[in-house]
Amino acid sequence: MHARAGVLAVLLVVLALGAVWATHQGPVPMPVIPRAPGHCVLPTASMRRTHMMLLRAVREEIVRHDARDTRFRITHCVACHVEHTASGQPIPVNAPGQFCATCHTYVGVHIDCFACHAAVPRNPMKFGGIGGSNSVQAAFRIPQALRGRFLSGGAGGGR
Amino acid sequence: MNDERRGQPLIDAVAGDEAPDSARRRLLKMAGAAVALTLAPGVTVLARDLVLKGGRKARSPVRYGLLIDANACKTGCDACVRACQDYNGLSHDPGPDNAQWIRKVTITDPGTGFTRSFPVMCQHCEDGACVDVCPTGASFRRPDGIVLVDKHRCIGCRYCLMACPYKARSFVGRVVTDQRPWAPRGKGTAEGCTMCVERVMAGKQPACVAACQKAGHKAMMFGNLHDPKSAIAVRLSKVATTTIRADLGMGPGVHYRGI
Repeated sequence: MHARAGVLAVLLVVLALGAVWATHQGPVPMPVIPRAPGHCVLPTASMRRTHMMLLRAVREEIVRHDARDTRFRITHCVACHVEHTASGQPIPVNAPGQFCATCHTYVGVHIDCFACHAAVPRNPMKFGGIGGSNSVQAAFRIPQALRGRFLSGGAGGGR
Repeated sequence: MNDERRGQPLIDAVAGDEAPDSARRRLLKMAGAAVALTLAPGVTVLARDLVLKGGRKARSPVRYGLLIDANACKTGCDACVRACQDYNGLSHDPGPDNAQWIRKVTITDPGTGFTRSFPVMCQHCEDGACVDVCPTGASFRRPDGIVLVDKHRCIGCRYCLMACPYKARSFVGRVVTDQRPWAPRGKGTAEGCTMCVERVMAGKQPACVAACQKAGHKAMMFGNLHDPKSAIAVRLSKVATTTIRADLGMGPGVHYRGI
């Protein structure tokens, strides 16, 4: 009888210590979202709620119906939201702490967009050359605000 | 090039995209026209040509295609292959598990010694076997004739690799990094020549065609086969050309001269 009470006491102490430790840790810290320059294609509140629906709808439209001149292209997301190292190299948006990863890690959602899609922007002129001075804009129908990010120096354009 | 429809959604450019009702009628017509041979219970051979003739769709105003002149193609030149690899982010290494969207093929007549070298890629068939066999609808033909893999739907079953008589499809068996934003590709999906759809939609030629012209051979020509005024259609009306394995009745969009 005494033995059983002893085990129970030890268990209670362990549980109490665990609770104290958890309180001490506090809640999981909120993600720190890197800010992109300029304005997004929709207000932030809308993007937070609907970006996954937009991407899903648009991927169907682009691949199967060639609606390529939409604002909601994943390449545009990457072009705006990519961060750069001090030396100007683009950091993949799905790298730890980067724009896509920071929230999805926080909520425990695994995204596989970047198993296929490029997580850094690239300048098409450097890859087999599309050719022609206006071809880069034409090829991607990039919104005016984003064009500089494809065209300027570095692997993926400057900040 | 068909410049007028640049920038418009494709769906608007193609009149008479099939309604469900007409699809059903087509199926009925196919059933009527098909010659079926029952070998054993549950084993039926359909005469493919007859099946397809019954269900031929209305002619689309746009059908992108290629004309490859094997007389002008140089043995040993692989400018088109390298341009494809560079633009679409494929490896230059011809390893057994690396994707291959375009390859140079050399044919020799053993009797006469006549040799020709020319590139072979997805033939962008009108009735491609890849589209027929795909269990998820990932392999599809756009109304302008370009055959693509919708990788959002592809489950990587590789049926299209088996079905394609041109061996034009590849399977990505390893994790891919360093993709081009204009050519997404990843492990577990089938892929093939996209006719550089991003470039074409921007009014440019596919990378292979541009590279061939840059190399000075001018063995490749791209354009709208269904526009009688396009350079490719004019050329096709003047010189003798063929398609590879025309007997299969799949209606390739890639025409060859001199083979």
